[in-house]
Amino acid sequence: MGRTMDKIERLINLTAFLLDTRKAVTFEELTDTVYQEYPSTTVREKNAVRKMFERDKDELREMGIDLEATSNEDGDDAYNIPRSRYYLPRLDLDTQERVALTMVSRLFLGSGTPFSAPAHSALLKLAFDDDESRGVPNVHWVESPADGESLSAMVDGLTRRKLLTFSYRALDATEPAEREVEPYGLFNRRGYWYLVGRCHFRGETRCFKLDRVVSDVVVNQKKPHTADFELPEGFNFEEECRWEWPLPHGAEDIEASVTFEPRLAFIRESGPGKVIGERRLGDGGIEVDYEVTDPEQLVDWVLSLGADAQITSPPELREMAVERLTGMLRGLES
Amino acid sequence: MAGKVPERLNRILLMVPFIVANGSATVDELCRKFNIDRDELVCDLDTLRMCGVPDYTPADLIDYRIEGGRVFMTMADYFKRPLTMTREEGLTLLVAGHALIRSGVFESDGPLGTALDKIERLLSVEEQVELESVAERIDLEMNASTGSWMDIIEEGLEKQQRLVIDYYSYSRGEIAERRVDPLSLLWSRGCWYLLAFCHEACDTRLFRLDRIRSLKLTGEPVEDDVTKFEVPELIGEYKPGRKAHKVKLRFSGREGRRLVEEWPTAKVADAPDGTIAVVLRTKNLVWLSNYLLRFGDRVRIESPAELRKMVKEKARALLKEYGSG
Repeated sequence: MGRTMDKIERLINLTAFLLDTRKAVTFEELTDTVYQEYPSTTVREKNAVRKMFERDKDELREMGIDLEATSNEDGDDAYNIPRSRYYLPRLDLDTQERVALTMVSRLFLGSGTPFSAPAHSALLKLAFDDDESRGVPNVHWVESPADGESLSAMVDGLTRRKLLTFSYRALDATEPAEREVEPYGLFNRRGYWYLVGRCHFRGETRCFKLDRVVSDVVVNQKKPHTADFELPEGFNFEEECRWEWPLPHGAEDIEASVTFEPRLAFIRESGPGKVIGERRLGDGGIEVDYEVTDPEQLVDWVLSLGADAQITSPPELREMAVERLTGMLRGLES
Repeated sequence: MAGKVPERLNRILLMVPFIVANGSATVDELCRKFNIDRDELVCDLDTLRMCGVPDYTPADLIDYRIEGGRVFMTMADYFKRPLTMTREEGLTLLVAGHALIRSGVFESDGPLGTALDKIERLLSVEEQVELESVAERIDLEMNASTGSWMDIIEEGLEKQQRLVIDYYSYSRGEIAERRVDPLSLLWSRGCWYLLAFCHEACDTRLFRLDRIRSLKLTGEPVEDDVTKFEVPELIGEYKPGRKAHKVKLRFSGREGRRLVEEWPTAKVADAPDGTIAVVLRTKNLVWLSNYLLRFGDRVRIESPAELRKMVKEKARALLKEYGSG
């Protein structure tokens, strides 16, 4: 042929042949066809081609192609790709199901997460038989692209149960430290990503905030087809997720009231507490009673609204606000 | 070669069925669907021309021609349908589905649930078990929003109707009415945004959902030519531009570092005395003067002087309100 076959051509040829063939094909038959341009007369050459075939097989399976190993009529090892398991069947979705799945697959399109590319191909597959996407509401997840590669490595390690290594700087640490982690789970809270996993450095299960990872996240490359660890017996993901936002120890919810200027009264619903009562005020403003778990958070929020909101009770929370304001003035006047 | 092997292979194996199923497809449609340019398309097609089944005579190889802007393909009938949903795609749909159920856009026992079941059934039993175990351990928070939320989805996005919103701009501290053609809802870093074409700005703008004071339906359809849009890569003041103010702050504690986690473009440096210096840029100082109040004596505002003045006035006025002025 005069030119070396590209790997991609070889993989397409292998897929095409094993999908098109009526009966399973032996390795010998493959050396005469898909691998014909690689010499396989000596034992050594044959072993090299065998290795290449093994790698190609893994790669196709990795992509989701169900390459089946069976035996032929003579009892020799043989391979094929069953059409029934390769071809996308008709999904028989009703209109509502189609709308729902289209929205779901659009969520991560171009999102900078590892789910972006599979979301794209899933969407194309959904539209293959029935391209009706007009009027389907767009809802998108937007992620800062810098996080994409680290997240991708984390999802990979999580799915294949492979060890991750990265350099991590805890909030209080001045210097970063190398960590080797068994990834158990991944979650996103208030816009931040956290990896849950067993840290070999600390010898315990911890949460790692993605923003504090200061290096690339590296997935262990050794023995790619064997998992590095098992999920510990009784691992409770939900419990671990709560680690980063613990409720103040032994704290009870407190009640607090806040007044809002008329123009910003609408914002009361998005405060960090449960609205348990409200009263209209004479000037058109509103006084709202909240049940709050974290008083600091309420004070932060009310102050961030500037002159449009004010804490009216309890006195301790008013005192907190006053302290912040006087502290700020002291700094500015010194 | 264009792109990494698995990525290209995936694309090619998905593209061929789109051409073969109908005998042909337009160049434009293929480029748009697969996010590639014409050169990349031709490169993929040329690769296919080298492929086929034994005996690899010209009659066994895939062939294509481009005529009148359409791609015609022959000898590729074994690729007449795409590869079934893969594990990766299944995982993506499950994770996204769970997030949208949590957010309240869908109910768990509604059409999304039955649709996801149909997708899962395409995988082997072992794959389904594994997939569910992994999907359960990837938990993406999407909070439900209140107020105008469902109107935006059902009236704005589904029926493509123009909306009038009363919007509170936090950065300027003002409320103004805007006529908008909704394009998409976006979730980014813990907040919901409406991406819409704003007729006052004559451009696409982002509106944070919790800052929409009220919403009116107009019954008018959105303009046809604004329905195409790009999902922004970033949300927030990441690229404030040259006119932005340069703000220098000094924190006595670790809040400085936490703040930088919220503003990825802010710069942070540890000083020998244990304080943390933060430099950030912003177009508007109004929001920052409100935002900084929470830090009290744990922050020093070094510059600009304009910001120092604004914060000072605000803190004094507020203290008066609290009866301590």
